[in-house]
Amino acid sequence: MSPDALELELERLHAAAFGWALACCAGDRAAAEDALQASYLKILDQSARFDGRASFRTWLFGVVRRTAAEQWRRAALRRLLPLAVLEAAPDGRPDPAVALARAEATRRLEAALASLSRRQREVLHLVFYQDLSIAEAAAVAGISVGTARTHYERGKTALRRLLKEEPQ
Amino acid sequence: MSEHDDHDLRDRFQRLRREDVAGVTSFHATLAAAAARRAASPRAPGIRVAAAAAFIAVLGVAVALAIRGRRGISIDLAAARWEAPSDFLLQVPGAELLRTVPELGRVTPPFHYLDPDWRTP
Repeated sequence: MSPDALELELERLHAAAFGWALACCAGDRAAAEDALQASYLKILDQSARFDGRASFRTWLFGVVRRTAAEQWRRAALRRLLPLAVLEAAPDGRPDPAVALARAEATRRLEAALASLSRRQREVLHLVFYQDLSIAEAAAVAGISVGTARTHYERGKTALRRLLKEEPQ
Repeated sequence: MSEHDDHDLRDRFQRLRREDVAGVTSFHATLAAAAARRAASPRAPGIRVAAAAAFIAVLGVAVALAIRGRRGISIDLAAARWEAPSDFLLQVPGAELLRTVPELGRVTPPFHYLDPDWRTP
């Protein structure tokens, strides 16, 4: 894929990729923007190459997921080692100003999602937010379709139960 | 139930999506920030060198500890003497009989050594 075509595809999927980065960074917008920038750098520098085995969107989401995980590990290391050469890391919590502006229903959904396991959250986000099939969600999360389906079913049941409960 | 039957959940996620997208930084701004980040990356080799040095130091300490652990601690068995807490029970009159070899024509120890008034502690 030529650099121009690559850039066009990235632009087309930018909003969706940001949503996915946000999900991978537990709602932290600054961390999500960092992860997205680092992912674009990897792609444009060709340290991450699209080989056409999956759809471009599935592949891009995989890159974003791995990059966000790397950043999370680096941030955790920074919190453990207060080295002067490393800058302050985001703490992984959602931006309070953004959280305030959220609609009540959205906040309840986010709170319920936060109670689920990471895999369940990822699969539900990819299916319901990104409109991916379970097979595509499995490819992004790097798990088998059967495992993704299990996370999907259990996650859905847990999410419905949590949403039915009265807010505290 | 398939992933296409859950309209209630899908609606909630789509509302979340609309709210997320409303505040998204534009693609070109993100790309410009990424380019600026790449331009400011000469700092990265310094971090890599520091990380490599730390790794080598940790590896050195681990190897030194492994070698030391393999050698083990030497114990002088000749100098070591262990006494059981109940050893005093064996200190009875005539205990020498148990530690010496009897000889013909000789009585060891002499019977006058035995103390008839001796009591166990």
